[in-house]
Amino acid sequence: MKRLQRLFSMLLVICFANATMFQVAQAALVTTEQVAGIASASGRDASPHERLSALMARSDVQNELERLGLTPELAKERIAALTDEEASMLAQQIENAPAGGSDVLGVIVFVFLVLLITDILGFTKVFPFTRSAR
Amino acid sequence: MKERAVPAPRQPSSFVALLAGAAFALVLAGCAVQTPRLLAEPPADLPRRVELAETPFFPQEEFQCGPAALATALSAAGLPTRPDDVADQVFLPVREGSLQLEMLAGSRRRGAVATRIPGTLEAVMRETAAGHPVVVLQNLGLSWIPRWHYAVVIGYDLDEGAFVLRSGTTERLQLAMRTFEHTWDRSERWAFVALPPGRLPTSASEEEVTRALVAFERNAPPSAAARGYLAALARWPGSLVLAMGLGNARYAAGDLSGAEQAFREAAARHGSAAALNNHARVLIELGRRDEARQVAQQAVRLGGPLHDTALATLRAVDE
Repeated sequence: MKRLQRLFSMLLVICFANATMFQVAQAALVTTEQVAGIASASGRDASPHERLSALMARSDVQNELERLGLTPELAKERIAALTDEEASMLAQQIENAPAGGSDVLGVIVFVFLVLLITDILGFTKVFPFTRSAR
Repeated sequence: MKERAVPAPRQPSSFVALLAGAAFALVLAGCAVQTPRLLAEPPADLPRRVELAETPFFPQEEFQCGPAALATALSAAGLPTRPDDVADQVFLPVREGSLQLEMLAGSRRRGAVATRIPGTLEAVMRETAAGHPVVVLQNLGLSWIPRWHYAVVIGYDLDEGAFVLRSGTTERLQLAMRTFEHTWDRSERWAFVALPPGRLPTSASEEEVTRALVAFERNAPPSAAARGYLAALARWPGSLVLAMGLGNARYAAGDLSGAEQAFREAAARHGSAAALNNHARVLIELGRRDEARQVAQQAVRLGGPLHDTALATLRAVDE
């Protein structure tokens, strides 16, 4: 759990570092998300998503995703559909999450899945999915 | 897992749920039961009975109530969709289900604005009365043995004290309001409407509508996003975020003069650095450099977190 948290905070640090650099470089229109204060720091626009896309390019991550029933293309599209607010809401929940994997790959995939699949209800044990008619 | 568990929560479980609910209420002291009050004194302007009978029905396949509910709502919103079309976007094979966030994101990707509505029975009724089917998340089980389920509320009957739903494999499920409330309560009353851009939910707050539109802008064609912002701005003219969204969406759609107007009005009304900055940027593109310089200088003078952005804009005027 400790290791997982450390790894995730490293990930976050990288995201934030990127964001600061982007802020200097990008000087065009202020986005609506920035104005809404939804991206809590200004200029943090695309970087969480770019970061995730970079991770997804790794072949071991792709293999793992496929094992879970998601193609990398689909995962990419699904991440792109989330707003930064949604993404960071999910990210916050990782601290309360049960340890997902003990190896680095497991952690990466876990971070992914959390970003992809946790929801506002909380990560503890309950996902809003159905177990329906059989 | 049993077939009947999906469409029809039974008496015993709702009795246990009642006890559980009571215990929960003791702890949190916040779980008012709305049904009795609503049935005793329904709001006078609500019709006694509503049923959006023309709402399509897609009997769900195994585990796929998420895609089925989404297809139902999207098709009703005039975006013909089959469950298979959205399964790839919202179904998570390893979890055998669909996540709330992805239900919202999936709607956006199909071209609908997905807006969460307040967690009150009255809000659900008002939306159906306005012709908007409501996608709800229910927990048909108990809090410690959840059985999550997405369904679509298409109406209600105050005389019968019941809601009407498209649910699972049941095309027309009439569910007692009390039972519905309990199953819905256990999902923290999660519900949304998926509507074509430009159409607003009747019950949703400014905050939720804004949130939905900002998210929509990320995925949607800019002209559609602009349509949504314009409609919302008509209801909440004092919103800076909506005004900025309108300008940004018009700009992205290539409508420079429309964007110029939106940013100019936003800047005049709110004196916001973001609006001034974007206004200056558009003026530059329109070749109106003198005006752009003035506006950018105003933005720089305001300072704040956008100071550097405004300064870069000012420099860009003379590049």
